[in-house]
Amino acid sequence: MDPLISSMKVAASGLGAQSERLRVVSENLANSQSTGNFPGADPYQRKTITFTAELDRAMGARLVDVSAISPDLSAFPMEFQPGHEAADENGYVKLPNVNVLIEMADMREANRSYEANLQSIKQARDLISMTIDLMRSQ
Amino acid sequence: MQPVNLFDLASQQARWLSVRQTAVAGNIANANTPGYATMEVEPFEAVLDNTRVAMRTTDARHINVGFGTDSLMVRQTNENSPTMPSGNTVVVEDELMKSGEVRRHFELNTAIVKSFHRMLMMTTRA
Repeated sequence: MDPLISSMKVAASGLGAQSERLRVVSENLANSQSTGNFPGADPYQRKTITFTAELDRAMGARLVDVSAISPDLSAFPMEFQPGHEAADENGYVKLPNVNVLIEMADMREANRSYEANLQSIKQARDLISMTIDLMRSQ
Repeated sequence: MQPVNLFDLASQQARWLSVRQTAVAGNIANANTPGYATMEVEPFEAVLDNTRVAMRTTDARHINVGFGTDSLMVRQTNENSPTMPSGNTVVVEDELMKSGEVRRHFELNTAIVKSFHRMLMMTTRA
């Protein structure tokens, strides 16, 4: 396969992976206050995403793919709120283990990577059109 | 008169540049993949110096082992770039620099081919 076309495909796989990452980040952010709804219930558990490189033999290039979306196993912070519906017998409520600052940093990084992939698609397109321009009569 | 091999050389370089662009795109796409090592194509000088003995194909069943994109070596770099805690060695800024380099060389390449073609056309028209 033409290397420029396969470079576009590789960059497109990067776009897909980064947008999946952005989806997980927004899920975490949206649920950053979601507690359980019965006494002692577990709240929303933060999700993490990991990528893996897989070799496409037909193209001879390494595409990126989402390998796993797994729960973050860190402990839930506890807050004393006796009136809350998810409060246990001591009056403590488990809050989601989402740190908004970390999610924001992750979002920025996903954004930056997305832009870099977009840039390499543009570049491949420009190289192809430079080649086509050779056929233009001067 | 010497046979003109500029077009051949130019297309070899264009092919090498597009393989390099694929390597760069792969690095950028895998900038957040744990354990991924930066890939790089062998330098163009090495490709030129490596005088391959192209075998003649006199039968349809012979395999052509001439210069093709498959024969370009793409391998992991062993330069000491900083490694992320996840084992990833891609520096996106470096990759963007490389991508700009590919673009400049490609522009130069197509411009040379264009002007050489114009020169040939001038001789044929005259």
